[in-house]
Amino acid sequence: MTLSLFILFLEQGVASGLVMGSVYALLALAIVIIFKTSEAPNFAQGDMMMGAAYVALYLLVFRKAPPIVAIPLTIVVAFVVAALFRGLVLAKVAKSSGSPVNLVIATLGFSYVLRGLVRGAGVGDTPRTFPPLASTDSIMIDQASVTILDLVIFGAAILTMAGFFWMFAYTKLGRAMRAVGMNPKAAQLVGVNIGRIHMLVWGLSGVISAIAALLISPKILMTADMGSIVTLGFAAAIIGGFNSLPGAVVGGFVIGVSENLVGLFISSRAIVVAPFVAIMLVLIVRPQGLFGGRTSIKKV
Amino acid sequence: MRSKLKTLAVALPALMAALSTAAAADPGITDKTIKIGMFAPLSGPNAAYGFDVANAAKMYYDKINKDGGINGRRIEYILEDDRCDANDLVAAVKKLVEQDQVFLLNGGSCSAATVAAKDFVVRNKIPLIMLNASGDGALYPPTDYIFGAFSISQYAVGGAMINFAEKTFGVKRLAYVNHDDAYGAWNLTGAKVDAAADKVDLAVESVSPTITDVTAPFLRLRASNPDALLIVTYARPAALLIKKAREMGFDKPIILSVTGTANLKQLAENVGGKGALKNLYIQDVLADAPGGPKIKWVYDMYKAAYPELAKEPDHPQTYMPYGVPSAEAIVRALKAAGPEPTREKFLAAMKQEDFDTHVMAGPVKFGPEERAANKSTVFMKYDGSSLQMLPGVYTTRWTYKN
Amino acid sequence: MRSLALLVALAALVALPFATTGYVVYLANLLLTFTVICLGMHLVLGEAGQFSLAQAAFYGIGIYTSGLSGAAFGWPFPCSVLAAGLVSAVVGLLIGGLALRMRDIYLALATFAFGEAMQWVLMDWTSVTGGPNGLHIAPARLFGLQLLTDKQAYPAVLVIAILMLGLAILLSRSRLGRAFRAVRESEVAAMAMGVPVKSTKLIAFALSAFFAGVGGGMFALYSTYIHPDSLGFQTTILVLTMVVVGGLGSIAGAVGGAIVFGLISELLRQTPSYQEVIYGLILIVFMMFAPKGLFAFLGESFGRLRRA
Repeated sequence: MTLSLFILFLEQGVASGLVMGSVYALLALAIVIIFKTSEAPNFAQGDMMMGAAYVALYLLVFRKAPPIVAIPLTIVVAFVVAALFRGLVLAKVAKSSGSPVNLVIATLGFSYVLRGLVRGAGVGDTPRTFPPLASTDSIMIDQASVTILDLVIFGAAILTMAGFFWMFAYTKLGRAMRAVGMNPKAAQLVGVNIGRIHMLVWGLSGVISAIAALLISPKILMTADMGSIVTLGFAAAIIGGFNSLPGAVVGGFVIGVSENLVGLFISSRAIVVAPFVAIMLVLIVRPQGLFGGRTSIKKV
Repeated sequence: MRSKLKTLAVALPALMAALSTAAAADPGITDKTIKIGMFAPLSGPNAAYGFDVANAAKMYYDKINKDGGINGRRIEYILEDDRCDANDLVAAVKKLVEQDQVFLLNGGSCSAATVAAKDFVVRNKIPLIMLNASGDGALYPPTDYIFGAFSISQYAVGGAMINFAEKTFGVKRLAYVNHDDAYGAWNLTGAKVDAAADKVDLAVESVSPTITDVTAPFLRLRASNPDALLIVTYARPAALLIKKAREMGFDKPIILSVTGTANLKQLAENVGGKGALKNLYIQDVLADAPGGPKIKWVYDMYKAAYPELAKEPDHPQTYMPYGVPSAEAIVRALKAAGPEPTREKFLAAMKQEDFDTHVMAGPVKFGPEERAANKSTVFMKYDGSSLQMLPGVYTTRWTYKN
Repeated sequence: MRSLALLVALAALVALPFATTGYVVYLANLLLTFTVICLGMHLVLGEAGQFSLAQAAFYGIGIYTSGLSGAAFGWPFPCSVLAAGLVSAVVGLLIGGLALRMRDIYLALATFAFGEAMQWVLMDWTSVTGGPNGLHIAPARLFGLQLLTDKQAYPAVLVIAILMLGLAILLSRSRLGRAFRAVRESEVAAMAMGVPVKSTKLIAFALSAFFAGVGGGMFALYSTYIHPDSLGFQTTILVLTMVVVGGLGSIAGAVGGAIVFGLISELLRQTPSYQEVIYGLILIVFMMFAPKGLFAFLGESFGRLRRA
């Protein structure tokens, strides 16, 4: 490999990796905010994103709604469905057992239902897309070529994350959410309505998934199985520490860039296995992830 | 305890021997009926490859029944869902053979899962005529019982694509993307043989069907400075690669295999408009463009047979017509097997088949050592709105060697 | 009463191949295989409280070990099944040694990552595993006898399943089983009682891998082909679902869950259009209204019997 090719690969790999990584970071953020408050990973996160993508497809393509209507509507639908799932289903599951495993299985059930519905509607097989939110013409950053859409994806993802960080850090709601995550009993004592907070967290997680779906669908194309991309969000979350919001974001970029660099410098075959190797390596060196604090000892 | 174990040790082999089944006379055939066991993915992510393909075979059998059946016998079919999963496919096959006692099997849309049934059908001497699976893994080495590749053998596709690129564009260096699955491996085997024969350098990248970012494989291929890009992937990765090629300003010919074409109108949207399709060629196995005059009869038959289904989005599914040739081959061989057909007579007739399906570009042609029905393919130019058939039929120089 | 029920069940299992077709016996073989894998999941998750999401990988290692050793050395099947279990257990021990520094979600996702990476290895190590072409499994052998049909393999599969069930019951009643549960309830308390927490967890991990490996060996008795596609996260999730919906923490739950969910999956094959929705709703409804699992009540009465 010549030096100039090496530099081209490196620049393009990092640029494309940061764009995809910003979406993995969004997904990781959606996973982590749920995990922090309910101590259970949401296995339906990917299919919540998939569902939101199909809502957007339905509105934008089948109903020809203008983006100014379709985008907010998609986000609202994602919020409501996710919050209702928490409020009607998971609240009951948590009350009748309280074991995280049971919550996990219930989210798994939710993901099957979502996938089944999209496939049942007959639109889940052919890969589809809705018009991207920005042009896909390319511009060059030194030797790396990225599209305007890529820049929009990256910018929108960063803005979304910044917004959520601000909300968690500075608003009353954000403080209540953090309080529920740290010590639910104490939070309840000081007057936080825990059930409502759980629903809100799920709703917001749905909103993040919907934003991810709106950004990424034209780039990766939609099928009923597109939710499997959440595996990369999980990888990002775990590398970042699983209960750390900044960690999740860094994890997303690490996964996005390493996927590309492994593909470019090692082998295309190794792209799919790279995130898993990254998870194992990080956890072997640091069993709580890069940014994770110690978790409390819990029963299964 | 010990004596119990000893009894067990003696009893176990005896029990196993007692349970071995003796071969019965050919089941599934009466004076009035012939029972055919069908299986295809009817649910889950792979239903697009089999649901309507099975429907196409069914409607052909229904038509034969309406026209009086085969030598006075009606065809009865039982269709099972195999989910393209090896365990489920084997369960479906065993149910059809052992419980439903079918005369022959007509099924399989996914290559790897279909190979899982190979030993069972060969041991039990059941004819297995695949639906649209390429299934090369079960066709080579040839057995007396398994026939397939009615869509086309993947070895042939791989070779034919090289051949087409060399003859049409005089290429010296080719970039080639396949999947890291069985399908992709067979295709690459054929491609390598023809690349060697044509003295073409092949730069190969194998990607996972679930890939979401194709930047890395595309850059690696572009770095080999190819004269054309061959894409042998499923529809989604194929669209991603074509889109990436446009984004990166790649203007050499792109040749896409039929596995990636699924829905051509949708392809144009998925790659971000016609701009990305200026230099696109697609490999196809049908005798005409979908809905074109030569194969319109299949689409008409579908609409007549499934009026409700035909109204739903994405129906008929792209690969629907592929279900007809295997049914045609079965009906012909059953007719040829005479008024008292047996499995052996049927299989003997299958081996001699050589006919035009009026669906596929190439004929169905078997032989004493040939179990892949179709090895020839055509190419079309697609610019985002119209399809233009290109002259010539292509195949591979790959041959099976023991 | 209970022993009578068990006798009836045993009699039904013995009579099965004489009364039904090879198709039903194939299903029985598959269900018995999953029962054994579920018992492994029960040991590590239900008893010791450690998440392992790599059961499909250990199952796969078992199948490939059994298939490859059968082809290379022509071993009689009891040896190849045992080898399948042992090789899986050794890999389990190695992975466990690394993974058990983590807990909860980290352990779950580290084992998940291992499972996915293992599937990739099976798919890409073509020279050994056959890679994407899958692996042809030669018929199992014993004393010059070949197991060519499901009915021939069934007695062997049944005996192995019963042996493994016995082993699981023995383990759960042993000192080790008590140590598992002590670790599950509280690592601190277990340590205070003198239970070596680390090695106990490691043993649980290796044992669950052993069970999954034996399950792989059983699969190789009646199957002729394996493809890495069958060994992904879906399979692990299926096992997890079986154990949890059956009733986490009880052997009856693991066994019952395996059988009930195996049958549900096969029955859903007959109703293709909405099977994912139905399957998902079953999971949700169970978690909402029967959180202790389908077979929890059996486990409880089993416990009473034991104390009596």
